Amino acid sequence: MLPRAAACLVFAYLLPPLLHATVLVPAEFREIVNGADIIAYGRVVETTVESSEDRKTVDTLVTLRVGTYLKGGPGETIVFKVPGGQVGRYRNVTVGAPRFVAGEEAVVFLNVRNGGTPFVFGLNQGVFRVRLETQSNRRLVVPPVMARGLEPETVVRGAAARRPVPLETFGVQVQTVLAEAAAR
Amino acid sequence: MNPVKAGPLVLVLLLSVLVAPAYAYLKLGVRVGTRTVSLQWNAFPIRYFITNRGAPGVDSAQFESAITRAFSTWNAVETSETSSQLVGFTAASPTSGDGMSVLGFASRPDLERVLAATNFIIDVTTGEIVESDIFFNTAFSWSVSPAGETGRHDLESIALHEIGHLLGLGHSAIGETEVVPGGRRVLAAEAVMFPIAFSPGSIADRTLKADDIAGLTDIYPNPATRRTRGSISGRVTKNGAGVLGAHVVAFNTRTSALVGGFTLSDDGSFTIAGLEAGPHVLRVEPLDDAEVDSFLDASMNVDLNFRVRFHDRVVVVPQGGGTRGVELRVVPK
Repeated sequence: MLPRAAACLVFAYLLPPLLHATVLVPAEFREIVNGADIIAYGRVVETTVESSEDRKTVDTLVTLRVGTYLKGGPGETIVFKVPGGQVGRYRNVTVGAPRFVAGEEAVVFLNVRNGGTPFVFGLNQGVFRVRLETQSNRRLVVPPVMARGLEPETVVRGAAARRPVPLETFGVQVQTVLAEAAAR
Repeated sequence: MNPVKAGPLVLVLLLSVLVAPAYAYLKLGVRVGTRTVSLQWNAFPIRYFITNRGAPGVDSAQFESAITRAFSTWNAVETSETSSQLVGFTAASPTSGDGMSVLGFASRPDLERVLAATNFIIDVTTGEIVESDIFFNTAFSWSVSPAGETGRHDLESIALHEIGHLLGLGHSAIGETEVVPGGRRVLAAEAVMFPIAFSPGSIADRTLKADDIAGLTDIYPNPATRRTRGSISGRVTKNGAGVLGAHVVAFNTRTSALVGGFTLSDDGSFTIAGLEAGPHVLRVEPLDDAEVDSFLDASMNVDLNFRVRFHDRVVVVPQGGGTRGVELRVVPK
């Protein structure tokens, strides 16, 4: 048997203070909110695959039936693109890109460049999936990682306070950030 | 907010690319008919091209050298068997389907905040990789300086991560971040395949970690490895039911190696393979501090509502064998 305290200590020192690489430069939630051109909650009603004219790149166009716009708002539905998709027997996949299926709900943070098709902020950072909790019939969202102050704050995996929040609460968080930005 | 009116939420599981069930680390998988198979190369060497375009601070020759070093690092893993071959330079784009595996710089304004990304074209009737491209985003500043360069991302480090994807590895969750005004910063990571960027200037990720090596060994083991490496398998349960998407970490108390894996089925089962023999401490934790999309297919109903738990026994991994039946019981937050 390994005493719990000893095990905790072991893991507390497992990770040397080295910085590591990879693909994403992660944004803090306020940056996602303020950096997005469009923020919409809705249900995916359709996905279609689009090849470029030269057939060398493939994107999936996701049609969202919008329940609420929290920022921007072009219409009852919005179409945005994510990298990859399947054409015939060939599937084009970008590792880390979000996938959507008809019927699922999400809050999406989108950007638009030069009037083109909107795309998700930061590859997958602008997607907050909405789950229906069957027992309570509530829609829940995993809360964003957000700084509470100016001091660096370690993100503790499994922290008791990090629980899915009701969709309405998430919406209030977004609106609060927008209001803060507007007040500056 | 008003919920959208529509029918019941449908979680379509006919995934074309998803994580393969069970096994150490996170392997990319592909659905072929009704089966899920590991996404892997079946023929070596992997033949690749380099674009003939540089970027500010990195010319095409320097780019080629950095990529070659990164491939060599993976190919040098003693417990696995992979090889690669540079075919030559090309004017082809690293973001397009053309039958060639191309690595190079490119501009993708729609992939802002993405330093680099790996793309596959897969024949879904066979699971065969047709090609795999890696693009490095010219929106960022790059360096090939041996000691790193302040304010610039180290090309070789990022290439090592992306080539890990090209070889069939998904992301590792063995890392810790902190949130600061304006973003998140990696505090520590014990895997090159951790998906969040390091600070510019760091060259720490030019070296593979135990988790990376276990993952590669799992996909491409050499014959000797089968006799020396071992595994741990079991289930993560909450109130008697399986937990999907739990992150299980094995810490070798003899070597200090950390290797992670995930529960990837509804019954909460996991297998962490490619482990060095010896005593291990197990920890299970929810993936509640990251974008699930970055690790698992988001259509999986990943359970994030449980507390971190250490297994109350040390688990001994035998050489060339496995320890089975470990049950990690977690409780809701």
